[in-house]
Amino acid sequence: MNIQGDRHIYKRFDKEMQYLHNLVVQMGRLAVNQLEDALDTLQNENPGKAYDVISNDKKLNDLDLQADDEIIRLIALRQPVARDLRVLISIGKIVAELERTGDEARKIAGLTIRFFESDQKPPSEEILRDIYSLSAYVINMLEMAIQAFDDLNLDLAADVLIESAQLDNQLKSILRRLSTFIMEDSRNVGHFVDIVLGIRALERFGGHSSNIAGHIVFIEKGIDVRHTDDKTILRNIRDVYVKEFDTALSEKAHESDSGEEGR
Amino acid sequence: MNTLTDRITEDMSAPLDERQAAVAPNFDDPVLNPDFKTFGNVHVDDPAMTSRNVNVSYGDKQAIFNVSLDVGKNEVIAMIGPSGCGKSTFLRCLNRMNDTIDVCRVSGSIKLYGEDIYGKDMDVVLLRARVGIVFQKPNPFPKSLYENVAYGVKLHGLASSKSELDDIVESSLRKADLWKEVSDRLDKPGTGLSGGQQQRLCIARAIAISPEIILMDEPCSALDPIATAAIEELIDELRKQYSICIVTHSMQQAARVSQRTAYFHLGRLVEVGATDTVFTNPRHRLTEGYITGRFG
Repeated sequence: MNIQGDRHIYKRFDKEMQYLHNLVVQMGRLAVNQLEDALDTLQNENPGKAYDVISNDKKLNDLDLQADDEIIRLIALRQPVARDLRVLISIGKIVAELERTGDEARKIAGLTIRFFESDQKPPSEEILRDIYSLSAYVINMLEMAIQAFDDLNLDLAADVLIESAQLDNQLKSILRRLSTFIMEDSRNVGHFVDIVLGIRALERFGGHSSNIAGHIVFIEKGIDVRHTDDKTILRNIRDVYVKEFDTALSEKAHESDSGEEGR
Repeated sequence: MNTLTDRITEDMSAPLDERQAAVAPNFDDPVLNPDFKTFGNVHVDDPAMTSRNVNVSYGDKQAIFNVSLDVGKNEVIAMIGPSGCGKSTFLRCLNRMNDTIDVCRVSGSIKLYGEDIYGKDMDVVLLRARVGIVFQKPNPFPKSLYENVAYGVKLHGLASSKSELDDIVESSLRKADLWKEVSDRLDKPGTGLSGGQQQRLCIARAIAISPEIILMDEPCSALDPIATAAIEELIDELRKQYSICIVTHSMQQAARVSQRTAYFHLGRLVEVGATDTVFTNPRHRLTEGYITGRFG
């Protein structure tokens, strides 16, 4: 009598778990697409498309409900334990995170509508630059998180957490830069609040990716890392990562500083 | 036992890859690893019973390998594992039920409150009074309900008068949550009860002689879910006074009733730990594989 790898004796249970797994990956890709599309509307000054992005958010909401229904059904019918239980509970949380990333993408599409449908002069490319760069950053984070989930790859989840810590540093730099713009040219004041709200939405988008990484740690290690600082989480993943974490942070901080100086 | 050498000399006409798979030592298989140590802490602070390095053989077939496990006071410990893993054999060592099998040999040490139960001075009849057992199939005596409960009490001379015997019968039936259902027909045969009631009668019979530990060998496997729930609720109640070791094939039952869970596999105690931990984050992959239904 041996363990059959990852397969259950009840093959249907395997299929049901795989279905949920695929649903998460599908939602992740959709969330990434939503933010990419929202960003596209901003770059192409296309409020019409922005409305499409907003209405497409319903797809994510529907998948969220679908996943929850399936999770409740599986808990009731299969009475999962151990890893199966951790996977199901974590998927329930991951889909909620993904649904919220969709909401954040919708907020970016909302910026397009406010900037380009009003009579007010739209913000300059210069002031939007940080939205673009931050979007690329958090899209990458979510892609990594989804990949980490798809492969149940703890190392990649750890990378997401490192990126998340770096995101905080980036935000500080961006807000500093924005303040300078306002001081240099007071005509930018009108858009300042919207830009900050957009940046806040992107920061939350990245935060959800980081939470997803935490849920992957729970699946793999059985340790609940919510409300825990990133260093402790990384220590739980792999001791070596604590050192790597410090090194990676200082390297990125250095890159970020030299980038800022170059502008 | 199918040793590594046996596997090597096995049927050479089998295809090469099958032969390679057959001889490949799989050290996840605890039996093949002589240095295997149980995952988790086998000790408890306040043990009622301590077993150390227990080995059991039936003739030349070894059924239990080097099992050490404490049973704590006022705890329910569940023993789970696939058929033939040795959990019932181990349970039966705890009150020397295996003595009734001629070819069975037990070595190692099992102590009840520090007293070696396999010692020369141990009175086995008294031991079985102190360590009661409830079997899979309810087995009331073909006597009245009253006599079923009173039998052991009289045998061990635990009541000095009829009224004391009456009190013991009533309190045992109350503890077994059966009094309300049978108090008006104590003279009727025990075999006339439903399966769930019969099992509770057997529990009352075990309780009547004031045991220190109650062993239960799949006590609910012949019962419907309602009767099972009643027994499980009873187990939780009995824990306040007794230590309980329960062997069960129902993992949900182990999860519901026990504070600690021990997982047996091919005669080895693979893992023991707090039930909460074993069912949410087991440490050994064999435990994980078994409780999540990944065995074939």
